[in-house]
Amino acid sequence: MDEALITRGTSRMPWKKFLLWILPWTVVLGFGLYGTYLCLAEGLNQTNMNNRFAFGLWIYLDLTVIALGAGAFFTGFLLYILRRHELQAVINSAVVLGLICYSGAVAVLMVDVGQPLRAWFTFWHPNVHSMLTEVTFCLTCYLTVLLIEYLPIVLKNRKLREIPRFLVFEFELHKLMPVLAGLGTFLSFFHQGSLGGLYGVLRGRPFAFREELGIWPSTFFLFILSAAAAGPSFVLVTTWLVQKLSRKQLVRPEVFRFLGKVSGILLIVYVLLKTIDTIFWINSTSPSVGFPAFSYYTSASFGTWILFGEIAVLGLVPALLLLSKRMRSKSYVLFSAALLTCCGVMLNRYVMTIQTLALPTLPFDQFMGYSPSWQEVATFLAVIAYGVILYSLSFRYLTLFPQERELNKPSWR
Amino acid sequence: MFPWVYEFHWSVGQVIFLGAFFAAVILIAVTMTRAFGRSLRDLRSRSEEKIRWHAEFHDLRSDARACRHELTGEVQHRTCTNEFDCRTCNAHPKYVALRAKEPEADSPAEETLFGLTMPSDRMYHRGHAWTHREEDGTFTVGLDDFGSRLVGIPDFVDLPAPGTRVRTSGTGWSMTKNGSRLRVLSPIDGIVVEQGSAEKDWFIRIRPDTPDVSTDHLLRGNEIARWVRRELERLQIALGPTDGAARLADGGELIQDISAQIPASDWEAVCGEIFLQP
Amino acid sequence: MEPLEGKKSRYGMAIDLDRCTGCGSCMVACAVENNVAPAEERADTNTGTTWLRVYPLEGGRKNGAQDVAFVPMFCQHCEHETPCITVCPQNAVDIDPLTGIVGQIPQRCLGCRYCMTACPYHARSFNWWDPRWPEGMEQTLNPDVAPRMRGVVEKCNFCHARLHAARAKAAIAGSREIAPEDYVPACVESCPAQAIIFGDLADPASEVARRARSPEAFRFLASLGTEPKIYYTSTRTWVREKAEHPVESGQRVGAPAESPVGA
Repeated sequence: MDEALITRGTSRMPWKKFLLWILPWTVVLGFGLYGTYLCLAEGLNQTNMNNRFAFGLWIYLDLTVIALGAGAFFTGFLLYILRRHELQAVINSAVVLGLICYSGAVAVLMVDVGQPLRAWFTFWHPNVHSMLTEVTFCLTCYLTVLLIEYLPIVLKNRKLREIPRFLVFEFELHKLMPVLAGLGTFLSFFHQGSLGGLYGVLRGRPFAFREELGIWPSTFFLFILSAAAAGPSFVLVTTWLVQKLSRKQLVRPEVFRFLGKVSGILLIVYVLLKTIDTIFWINSTSPSVGFPAFSYYTSASFGTWILFGEIAVLGLVPALLLLSKRMRSKSYVLFSAALLTCCGVMLNRYVMTIQTLALPTLPFDQFMGYSPSWQEVATFLAVIAYGVILYSLSFRYLTLFPQERELNKPSWR
Repeated sequence: MFPWVYEFHWSVGQVIFLGAFFAAVILIAVTMTRAFGRSLRDLRSRSEEKIRWHAEFHDLRSDARACRHELTGEVQHRTCTNEFDCRTCNAHPKYVALRAKEPEADSPAEETLFGLTMPSDRMYHRGHAWTHREEDGTFTVGLDDFGSRLVGIPDFVDLPAPGTRVRTSGTGWSMTKNGSRLRVLSPIDGIVVEQGSAEKDWFIRIRPDTPDVSTDHLLRGNEIARWVRRELERLQIALGPTDGAARLADGGELIQDISAQIPASDWEAVCGEIFLQP
Repeated sequence: MEPLEGKKSRYGMAIDLDRCTGCGSCMVACAVENNVAPAEERADTNTGTTWLRVYPLEGGRKNGAQDVAFVPMFCQHCEHETPCITVCPQNAVDIDPLTGIVGQIPQRCLGCRYCMTACPYHARSFNWWDPRWPEGMEQTLNPDVAPRMRGVVEKCNFCHARLHAARAKAAIAGSREIAPEDYVPACVESCPAQAIIFGDLADPASEVARRARSPEAFRFLASLGTEPKIYYTSTRTWVREKAEHPVESGQRVGAPAESPVGA
């Protein structure tokens, strides 16, 4: 029924089957929105956050999706600024993923704050010394950029491109993509870093506090690097998943290998700098404020294995795998290493958000536990469902993978 | 946020931070305005046909964009970089010169290939429109046999009214079959002066802007056979390995109405390939 | 903002931990003075609002038994790179240059809770519910203090309404400076053991400045460098040890799992 909307030369599942795929996700979305509604209507007492654990699952979700969504800016940077044309094959998908991640993060932020209608106060009375102000400004600008980058993809839909106004506007907008890609890179650099700076400036939390390089704590730079390393890996993982689900080949293997290589290079640099930072923190920064580093790892299940796991198992191991050409050529190794990279970044964000708040500071503090309430989990699931639905619609009606047509019909050349 | 808002002070941090923010906002606004403004200009100057062809050409698969000189053998492998407009291509004259060095076989151009009638007094556009220069300086334009057999008998033909301006590789006319609308690309620039009718074998008559208009970009003579052969191969690939109805064995003939023989969705995709509309 | 003319005070406190009995009167007085709403049914120690909390601090031995000190903990009105001021995205926290009081602007607070993450002393409370007073109890509200709405952060502000009242009184009397006895926060007033002394640290002759200079005085988490203005005094060295070195070698930070006073 909707074949006229589907790109010529590609095939998609029948619309009834598509509806069957979308329906459960819509149900999840509905359930999630109910949880969100409760939090907005009844207040944040619907969550399990409290005065000691002021940031919970949602902040963790925000930091994680923004780190994983970094693929959008980094792929754009590599393609439009460094002119690596092989990434033309995945840029559209990366932009959609970025849009999903950032719009989801902003939506969750609006639920997380106590007074969402006051969000414009940050713009009207900005505190330029606060990392969160920086994050707010950058995220708003960057989400706008992502929406503008998504627009040409939508306008290239088979039916929409027939309308002269849309055709022409898409053409002119596409010519200016390098400008937007450059702006996106600049904005991403700052907000990825500021999310790290968010924790690095906390004098009151010696676990997270770091020395400054310039006006920024070291976590500023570490977060940028880890996000840049995770971004291409996330694009790789999702493309691989979409290939499996759609049973089509969507990109040439060289594209995957290139993404893996980029990820590997950035990851090894990150692991090196993170190791140096950790050693400095253990020996200098943390003891200098009266908190020896071993004290952070004596509580509950947060032993030193977490530190080792984050840097070595989920950092060094995938980095070495991705840097080896032989390893990259095996698709299962490539996928696993990319997945490990994403997990490493997710663990890093977890440690920074949850462990920071769990650890005691005052002598009469206890180690705090926290597990999210169902309303929080529902909101989290709503974001995931929204992402799946938006991506599915984009995959069905828009050209997310330019190489798809060539790869699914035999070519005699 | 602004100097007149309570609590604003001119400190280094404020100026840099807000300066960067406003710069980003202005850059976004300027970019959008430029894109919008240029679009309006394009629409006013009626460049949408040119833009459409540009967009569609670049969306074609690389094997659809083979240079004509690869077809005729002057170069082993070359993808067209000029949207099939050999008139403005830098490489075209060099390859033509190369061709002149090799003496042409003296055999006359084939007229019937695989059962297709491709008269050699006509010139062909890569989108399967033919054109013939008439004595009064106008050009008649029609759909070649290859294209006709692919479409079969169209349900509806929508010809441009006399006075309509057409561009090379822009829309010539459109035909509807099986609920899908196909555009046939015009081989030359000019103004439509007459519409064809059921008796005539041409669809439109075009008067070019200047009488000595260049037709370098059109295929003619010995090129036709090589091109048709390649198009048949492309058709074969487009139809896919599992489709039995319209298989072409060596030396076999192309059947009269392919659209009736294959499922509508496949036919649609095939037409897109052949008529250069991805 | 240009500071107004006038004497620059640095209001602070000196709390004698040898006197504090842990009775909790200060917590009650604070709640009454500042219109803190009664806790909702589902609230617990960590979601109920209190600006001031008395914690038990265990350690040392006294008469053969475990010794305990009670520590009233609330906003320390940090002076140097005040963590909550530097992190608030909307400038909803400020430090008054004339008094040194770190003030919260609830009408501007977005409720992002970044300041709560930043505060080393866990001195800030978030309004997880809409404030509700049972029928009739609204008559106990203090007319000089505005109640806060749901979704904003609040904390001790040294009973700012009493500062305004003291200034008004001084203005009526024609004096440029307030009389110290006119400005007494609720917790200070209510303490039966008179363990809390409040005053101007910038005035070397004041009682609080004298105590802050004494050898028994110390501050919690002083090593973090935020320069809190609440000084604690105790002759018991183990209390000072715990306050200044939360982590002893080989031991982990933190109390055994026990609720603090005021649960």
